[in-house]
Amino acid sequence: MRLRSIEELRALRRELTESPAPERRLWVCGGPGCLASGAQEVFAAVEAACRDRGLQGGARFRAELSGCLGLCERGPLVEVEPEGWLYGGVKPEDAAELVGETLVGGRFLDRLAADPKCREKDLIPFYLPQKRLVMARFGRTRPGNLTDYLAAGGYGALELALSELGREEAFRRVELSGLRGRGGGGFPAGRKWRALKEAAGRPRYLIANGDEGDPGAFMNRALMEGDPLSVIEGMTVGAYAMEAEEGFVYVRHEYPLSVERLNSCVRAAEEAGLLGDDILGTGMSFRLRIVEGGGAFVCGESTALTASIEGREGQPRVKYVRTTEAGLWEKPTLLQNVESWANVPMIVRNGPDWFRETGSGDNPGTKVFSLVGKVRRTGLVELPLGSSVGSLVNDAGGGVPRGRKFKAVQSGGPSGGCLPESALELPLDFDALAGAGAMMGSGGLIVMDDLSCLVDTARYFTAFLSEESCGKCAPCREGLPVILEVLTDMTEGRARPGDTDFLERQARMLAATALCGLGKSAANPVLSTLRYFRDEYLEHEGGFCRAGRCRGMYQPAVDPASCRSCGRCQKACPAEAIEGSGKEPRRVVPEKCVTCGACLAACAFEALKAHRHPEGGPDARTA
Amino acid sequence: MPGRPDTALPGPGSPAAAPAVLPPRPPRPGIPMVEGTIDGIRVSVPRGTTLLEAARLCGIEIPTLCHHEGLPAEGSCRLCVAEIRGQLAVSCMFPLRDRDFRAETGSPAVMDARRYVLSLLVNRAPKAPRIARLAEEYGVAPDPRFMKDPDGCIRCGRCVRACRANGPEAIALAGRGFARTVTGPFRKPPEDCIGCLACALSCPTGKIAFSEKAGTRKIWEREFELAPCPECGARVFTREQIGFYGGQASAVCPSCRRRLMATELRKAAAYEAPGGPLLLKSV
Ligand SMILES: Cc1cc2nc3c(=O)[nH]c(=O)nc-3n(C[C@H](O)[C@H](O)[C@H](O)COP(=O)(O)O)c2cc1C
Ligand code: SF4
Ligand code: SF4
Ligand code: SF4
Ligand code: FES
Ligand code: FES
Repeated sequence: MRLRSIEELRALRRELTESPAPERRLWVCGGPGCLASGAQEVFAAVEAACRDRGLQGGARFRAELSGCLGLCERGPLVEVEPEGWLYGGVKPEDAAELVGETLVGGRFLDRLAADPKCREKDLIPFYLPQKRLVMARFGRTRPGNLTDYLAAGGYGALELALSELGREEAFRRVELSGLRGRGGGGFPAGRKWRALKEAAGRPRYLIANGDEGDPGAFMNRALMEGDPLSVIEGMTVGAYAMEAEEGFVYVRHEYPLSVERLNSCVRAAEEAGLLGDDILGTGMSFRLRIVEGGGAFVCGESTALTASIEGREGQPRVKYVRTTEAGLWEKPTLLQNVESWANVPMIVRNGPDWFRETGSGDNPGTKVFSLVGKVRRTGLVELPLGSSVGSLVNDAGGGVPRGRKFKAVQSGGPSGGCLPESALELPLDFDALAGAGAMMGSGGLIVMDDLSCLVDTARYFTAFLSEESCGKCAPCREGLPVILEVLTDMTEGRARPGDTDFLERQARMLAATALCGLGKSAANPVLSTLRYFRDEYLEHEGGFCRAGRCRGMYQPAVDPASCRSCGRCQKACPAEAIEGSGKEPRRVVPEKCVTCGACLAACAFEALKAHRHPEGGPDARTA
Repeated sequence: MPGRPDTALPGPGSPAAAPAVLPPRPPRPGIPMVEGTIDGIRVSVPRGTTLLEAARLCGIEIPTLCHHEGLPAEGSCRLCVAEIRGQLAVSCMFPLRDRDFRAETGSPAVMDARRYVLSLLVNRAPKAPRIARLAEEYGVAPDPRFMKDPDGCIRCGRCVRACRANGPEAIALAGRGFARTVTGPFRKPPEDCIGCLACALSCPTGKIAFSEKAGTRKIWEREFELAPCPECGARVFTREQIGFYGGQASAVCPSCRRRLMATELRKAAAYEAPGGPLLLKSV
């Protein structure tokens, strides 16, 4: 079915919205997290149970796969529409009951509740501070289904732009919205859009960056798999507003499902006359291609990304000319993160004032964060920008589990920074995070408790970046291994006096001289931890790790006054180095201790602590 | 071959390389001039001239390693940094585009950056005289603690670019990060190598070894036969080189070529000179 005019699109949408909705639907989460925890099997079992009851293809009761529902950690999740109930940890064995009791019977199954205290998803504390705009259609539409997308108001922005707004007004809406790039730096989209609109040279290219190289991050993947059409519509509207002819979505190498979904959406949109030549009979054309990434972290960097699309090695280039002037094949090119593009349709449809109602001042709109680490609830969280870091960590995340203390939050991916407890007051916006020495990055947040060693954390991220350095420029190629060497020495008890200051100088010089963004920001893990946790570096210089993380650099000891003789430390210790029985307080035998740290993590009463080795210095230890 | 100025890349048919110091740049039609100062010296250059070229016009020396006059710039060694608009930029690639630019090539930030870069590179090529001399000049020394693989190569990529510019594209920088190295395809001796020496002669550290004796040349673990010059019999080019550039004519060795060309030029000059062929005698 090809739509030949805007009127035909309107008619189709009317038809779709008027057709009756099913009485009840089970949305089995098909997001990345739940797929990893077995959602595909759950969905297959639910479908089989539906068949058993003769429900397949039924108009009243249906089961579908959805985009990421958010609370990934409790997955596989199932949401019940229209009640809005949320089930967690669902297993294939639960399928028959799910279908019989809930889908058909409309009864809630307490034993499957995702949250012990409430049934409705929207009332679970994890969702309370959230505002789902980018993820609005997750769990409302079948991912990548054009019919569902249209029925949910999709392509309303393109329709409005082509019929009423015109190029100028569509452009102006984005410019006035204050949208900032969601891929890291928060660069104002409007400024890039204007530069492209005014650039000389044809054709003009649009690129969506879906490379998402940050280890563990999956917000862009969830978007490309959960609502790929919002990215495609955003780019089409952008192409109209800026008169661009061609576009590319650059998708991370490891995301075959994203590639597949995007490709099938491109085909569907083309067949429907919403993409390609003569869009909706208006004469506008925009061709879109899905490109698989080069498979390296650095390929997300703009010049490496364009090189990779051009078919060359994905390596950064020195550029003193903006991409909007000379990008892909030296033609004017606009690169935005996929989440930035997904914001475009709602902005164009509802206008800049509506968009600015969410978020704060210079940081309008929402951002999808991935929250992981030492918090009670983890997953994807979409918050208005300007919400506090604390609302993410403590409200959505439920705070650090009992018995441990919050120590730091790492934000912005591997080249982001670690912030201390005072950062919980900070607003989650581009400027506040950058000012504090971290960055928004693509929105990854890792919460760390008192068992995390910040020197070791810096070492971990530096090792990742050193591994991912492309090796082109001297500072990053040769300088990161120097920093890594010192950090490794520090965490293995070989630090030399003055290493802390040396590290700081090295990190600053690396940031000042590296060729591309990878090297320039690779100093952040070191610089941010030095800024807030310098004491720990100095302690490591002296051979002590207070977190009890770096082997051989501490001695665990029980404080008899706090010990409740529960014996958990004893059970955890693999070296049988803890003595005492019954009601006695426990005791660590230093000679037997292998400093694995298991006892520190096992004690729930803060009775076990890492102490400086009594003989001082790392050389005195036995490990 | 340390300390040798950047010479023309040898090889028949290779374009003549630019001289080491550029002649003053005349205005070019259609390209506006931009004016500014470098270390306080006023200079006016066609828009788009690199900061390095402009500095050289002012007689200001900026150290470089990965840059080579005859090759496309890459800006990867980061030694040639200068300060412009309050930021560090690699002068070998920074195009002067704004009017009234102001650049500093010896500010504290610049010197710090160069010291840093050299402190890293000297651990890779501690014995290369050009690197050792720069390191000494900037007061940095090799540090055994961080000397993990002093193989003499600073990964500047000049060899790779020289080989590409000449056509064979026999070698490349392969691998990531610290492990990046110059090699032939699949880490084997380069099959497409024609033995032209462009790589070895453009290397700033002398890393690429080659030798010549008894009419053969060895480079990249390969042996090439040198063909005699039809004029004088000197053995200068490999058979593969002559084959690559397609033919016999250019197999004449450079000194014979110069001699032949000079004769041609003299004939032409004599013919065109106002005094006619008489001039020939006086030359
Ligand atoms: C090493 C490196 C990796 C990057 N990876 C990504 C990425 O995976 N996704 C992304 O959107 N931007 C990434 N960026 C940022 C992009 O270069 C670019 O700034 C961004 O895509 C612009 O889009 P935005 O303005 O919408 O944020 C990376 C930058 C660097 C230096
Ligand atoms: S900073 Fe690192 S990743 Fe970027 S060009 Fe230099 S070596 Fe490559
Ligand atoms: S000698 Fe071989 S590798 Fe070196 S530039 Fe010539 S062809 Fe390339
Ligand atoms: S061999 Fe020489 S020219 Fe080639 S990258 Fe190494 S130092 Fe540079
Ligand atoms: S993947 Fe299912 S909740 Fe995120
Ligand atoms: S000479 Fe300019 S960066 Fe190497």
